[in-house]
Amino acid sequence: MVQFSEERLAKVKEIIARYPDGKQKSALLPLLHLAQENFGGWLSAETMDYVASLLQIEPIEVYEVATFYSMYNTKPVGKYVFEVCQTGPCMLNGSDNIIAYISQTLGIKAGETTADGLFTLKTAECLGACGYAPMMQLGKHYREHLTKEKVDAIIAECRAAAAANN
Amino acid sequence: MAKATQWNTMGRKLLLEKAHVEGIRYFDVYRREGGYRSVEKALKTMTQDEIVEEVKKSGLRGRGGAGFPAGMKWSFIAKPEGVPRHLVCNADESEPGTFKDRYLMEFLPHLLIEGLIVASYALGSNTTYIYIRGEYAWIPDILEQAIAEAKANGFLGKNILGTGFDCEIYVQRGAGAYICGEETALIESLEGKRGNPRIKPPFPAIKGAWGRPTVVNNVETLASVVPIINEGGEEYAKIGVGKSTGTKLISACGNINKPGVYEIDMTISVEEFIYSDEYCGGIPNGKRLKACIPGGSSVPILPANLLLKTAKGETRYMNYESLSDGGFATGSMMGSGGFIVLDEDQCVVRNTYSLARFYRHESCGQCSPCREGTGWMEKLLLRLEKGEGKISDIDLLWDIQSKIEGNTICPLGDAAAWPVAAAIRHFRDEFEWHVTHAAEAQTRNYGLAHYADPIHVPV
Repeated sequence: MVQFSEERLAKVKEIIARYPDGKQKSALLPLLHLAQENFGGWLSAETMDYVASLLQIEPIEVYEVATFYSMYNTKPVGKYVFEVCQTGPCMLNGSDNIIAYISQTLGIKAGETTADGLFTLKTAECLGACGYAPMMQLGKHYREHLTKEKVDAIIAECRAAAAANN
Repeated sequence: MAKATQWNTMGRKLLLEKAHVEGIRYFDVYRREGGYRSVEKALKTMTQDEIVEEVKKSGLRGRGGAGFPAGMKWSFIAKPEGVPRHLVCNADESEPGTFKDRYLMEFLPHLLIEGLIVASYALGSNTTYIYIRGEYAWIPDILEQAIAEAKANGFLGKNILGTGFDCEIYVQRGAGAYICGEETALIESLEGKRGNPRIKPPFPAIKGAWGRPTVVNNVETLASVVPIINEGGEEYAKIGVGKSTGTKLISACGNINKPGVYEIDMTISVEEFIYSDEYCGGIPNGKRLKACIPGGSSVPILPANLLLKTAKGETRYMNYESLSDGGFATGSMMGSGGFIVLDEDQCVVRNTYSLARFYRHESCGQCSPCREGTGWMEKLLLRLEKGEGKISDIDLLWDIQSKIEGNTICPLGDAAAWPVAAAIRHFRDEFEWHVTHAAEAQTRNYGLAHYADPIHVPV
């Protein structure tokens, strides 16, 4: 069953209090981030319904938001999601080669997840790191000035972290 | 073209002067370096109207891209009795080529918080929000720490500095949508909805967040309020030239030796900005300049010859007026200050395709011309880029972009149309070459062509 911990519920309450009374729907984006983080990196219908119940809004109000914003995953993703920017300035600095290299190394196309469930490759549109191109988002942080060697190191780092957690 | 020595590189810094002071991210160091003086001055010695007046006098123009006078925007805010007003900081920086606000927030979070407190006081906002793009996921921690420090030191919260003014600042993350940089889409998103821009009027200053009077300002705009209050609007206006007052942050990227964020005082030439070691440091590997998008991906791309000099043969400068000299026929725009340089080996068709794909991805889908048009443009550009296009595709592209521009609720339609229009306007021969030499276009780029030749100036 989808259910936040007491600690998380206190955070939910704190977030809702940032907005005017009766405007608790404003907390939807932050709550969806929290839910995605908490419930496996993606938003299932059950998770979205739970968020709707927390905010006392209709489930459809959550679905329409979850499907609008690119950071919300409405399908399961790998443990590590590589979101590689492919827009203008990154392209000028070779992002296409980085995407192709990751694709070849992991044996997946953009939008796919490796069979072991470890990696998902996504292309992203401008992430605001144009001066540090090519780059990708990995979890909360950016990995910039990417090269093939750096990509190899990042993949190794993720594998090591996953092994250590199991 | 190493001409660095001939340039005067002593530009004034108002925002980034202290960026490299160790520990400036934290309250104690920031305060020791003179931080929060503007809050003391504004809240203790100035009325709300006097602050608005100072900002008007400064000539500060919105730094998010539109360049609208900030003081005037503030003066429009409605003040109905008993209705709360809000200031919202637009930190949804998403225009390709733009990464200046990120730099400010990461390295000088207190500068933004300081500007926000003064602006909140001037506008009467007791609850102020920073709406930051969701991908900048580590920055809210930095901002929230700065907010907590400011609060612990009496600059936020109840009865600030004993003046009776209360103010709280909250950070809200977006979740991946360029459109939320448009102020009414941002407000919708802040309300927990899809980022669909609203029809204006009513403007946010009358009916914004939760139907209340709201001012939405860019990060850099709000940070600039600090030096304006400290030094006075008139002093601020003395920096720069004409209606380009003060300093501007430029995020430089693409094919340059020193990508990064630079503060300029808007009196330097484009040539100096690209080739001086103080700024971009020239183009790597001895290559030549082919083209540049000087103000973020939405503004018209210019070939080298029209970038460095105007069509009249005059030096082009890094300011609002000079960059737009010649209108869209031969000029561009300052925009958000996202400065993208293309060297001689870059393909304009491919670059335009990449940007068209971006706008198709980011269109919210409300208005048919934008929703359908951006998709058509992307498809046609991909076809041309792959050598599968026809000459008539170029005319069709021109036709589509002209039918998007001006026909949508918000400026995303224009922003998608302009790069395509400018690319065809200045680089049509390169597009045609992708059709007439389709196989060759798959093996090499068109190159510099005549774009860097000196322009003929009629006498």
